[in-house]
Amino acid sequence: MAAPRPGWSRRAQYGLFFSFIAAIVALGLGLILLAISIAAPSRFNDLRGLALDATSPITNSLSGINATANGLMSGAGDYWDAAEQNAGLKAQNAALRRQITEARAIMLDNRELRAALRLREQTPTAVAVGRIVSSSFESPRRFAILSAGTGDGVQEGMPVRSPDGLIGRILHAGTVDSRILLVSDRASTVPARLLTTGQAVLCQGRGDGSVDLKPLEVGRNPFKPGDVVITSGVGGLYPPLIPLARVVRLQGDGAIGVPLAALGSTTVAIVEQPYEPEASLPPPPQGDEGPIP
Amino acid sequence: MARSALQSNKRIGQGPLPAAAYVPAACVVVAILFCTLPIILENGWFPDFGFLMLIAWRLRRADVWPAWWAAVLGLINDALSGAPIGLSVAVWTGAMLLTEIAERRILWKDYWIEWALAALLIAMNETAQWQVAAWTGARLPFTAVVPTLFISIAAFPIFAWAVAGIDGWRLRRR
Repeated sequence: MAAPRPGWSRRAQYGLFFSFIAAIVALGLGLILLAISIAAPSRFNDLRGLALDATSPITNSLSGINATANGLMSGAGDYWDAAEQNAGLKAQNAALRRQITEARAIMLDNRELRAALRLREQTPTAVAVGRIVSSSFESPRRFAILSAGTGDGVQEGMPVRSPDGLIGRILHAGTVDSRILLVSDRASTVPARLLTTGQAVLCQGRGDGSVDLKPLEVGRNPFKPGDVVITSGVGGLYPPLIPLARVVRLQGDGAIGVPLAALGSTTVAIVEQPYEPEASLPPPPQGDEGPIP
Repeated sequence: MARSALQSNKRIGQGPLPAAAYVPAACVVVAILFCTLPIILENGWFPDFGFLMLIAWRLRRADVWPAWWAAVLGLINDALSGAPIGLSVAVWTGAMLLTEIAERRILWKDYWIEWALAALLIAMNETAQWQVAAWTGARLPFTAVVPTLFISIAAFPIFAWAVAGIDGWRLRRR
């Protein structure tokens, strides 16, 4: 097929010509809009909230079907080798019960010591509970859709966690749904520390479901495969002591880890207040700083 | 011959669908809505369904819509997919104009040239997404978008096939 020629009709020729002028104008408008959304990312939040709410019937209703199908599949899988699983779970249960007793003793000790020091600490309060219903599976950015919005008290910037660990923070909030910036997104940096040694590290997403872990102090690589990293509470946004990631591989002076809150199996996500209230203000605009050296 | 003339011709009175001119744009909107499906993945390797549907229609027919419609469709895609507003508006309209320029240069178009053109447009789209992500604070190495680039290029024939079927249905040409 050659280039479209509308024939000898003047009207058709002009129509084609003006549609191209309109397209060039639209291209310019698009570039202006893009420049605005890069310079002022919160400019179009109303539009985004509207779009989130408009598509929430699709996402939420289909997500129910999806969860049921998944439940049937994994449920059937669990019956397959029930006896072996049962024995394993019994052993695990006994080990965990011993650990819980130890942990209770430590907690009691801790409470008494804190009371002696008169240390006051805000307990994080849950704002809303929702489900992860979708994710940005066709974009290099890592977002997820949460089935809770401003109607439930969710605000932009609030941290989101699951019982397993930190998921991310609220990026755009609609009335019934909101979009989460996951910890595995490249633009997400979480101050953290190693559970074993307490050394301060930074956790930055890699865009593919894993995270980069870098120690803040230069020196020997502090990581070992299997190490667990928890949030440190530095910066005031994320509450401290939330499990964050597990180290899987060492790389250079840092390591690569996977978030402990696996998205696919996460059923509930809890939205919490920012740890320090002033941190709920929008962060200062970040330039393009490249990867953390 | 005389006998066949007596048979009723079922094709008489059959033309394109009443809304045939809007079917392609509706297809693109449906493809954009794929991004709201409850698929939860750790990586973003799926192709950009809306963009693939857009270029599949455009490469099949030059007069499928006025070029500026791509801007409106791109705005819908930006709002729904969480991309920065304006990214798809610019890239999708740019793809329409680039296709136009390319088709004026190409003397004859066969399937391989169409696929190569589609691959070029897909690469442009992925590069723009990657560059804008870098400007908004998520600078990834380019190797991170290579898998999705290849998956998208490999997925284009599926979309071209679907578009051919829908095109035949909307014009009632079987």
